[in-house]
Amino acid sequence: MFEIKLYLTGQRKRSKKVIEDLEAFLEAECKGQYALEIIDVLEKPRLAEDAGILATPTVIKTAPSPKATVIGDLSNKEKVLAALGIER
Amino acid sequence: MPKRILIVEDYEVIRNSFFLILEDMGYMVETAETGEKAIAMAKEKKYDLIFLDLKMPGLNGVETLRELRKIDKDVPVYIITAFYDEFYDELRRAHKEGIDFELMKKPIRGEQLATVVKGILGSESG
Repeated sequence: MFEIKLYLTGQRKRSKKVIEDLEAFLEAECKGQYALEIIDVLEKPRLAEDAGILATPTVIKTAPSPKATVIGDLSNKEKVLAALGIER
Repeated sequence: MPKRILIVEDYEVIRNSFFLILEDMGYMVETAETGEKAIAMAKEKKYDLIFLDLKMPGLNGVETLRELRKIDKDVPVYIITAFYDEFYDELRRAHKEGIDFELMKKPIRGEQLATVVKGILGSESG
């Protein structure tokens, strides 16, 4: 089971697109074997601070090891999945 | 063509360190020490990325962001701020008004800044 955390700013159109894209990537590659937690840094900045987040959006794979992080442009499916170690 | 970055930060040491790090990475970097100056610059040139300090004398980060968005709705704007709730009321208001921005933590080390910018812009050569 992949455990993924997505840190983003707000819940408006741009963030919703990031969420939709990431969920589509994960569904296609992990076939439901993933848990996605979404943290709105605007509402809970302390969680981002505690997690060592540098900027939004950031997606982190916390399980299975090793931990992996992607910051910034999350629109490239291949790049995001490869960086998180979620490969076909 | 290298990507163009604007750094809006009143604290000279931070402004200069950002400039040196990002220029060394191959980006075209310009700086503004006030929100007013940043707005004037944004009217003259198109930027690929803007870093904008939240707490500045004169026009603060959010006020500057509002004006920048009238000029360019699409440029990624990263508000530089500590991830502490007490600073966030004005940011939340701006967000509810439909003003787009992202957040970058403060303080940030040079190698962390480089990581963030590579993630946002990719290759410095565009």
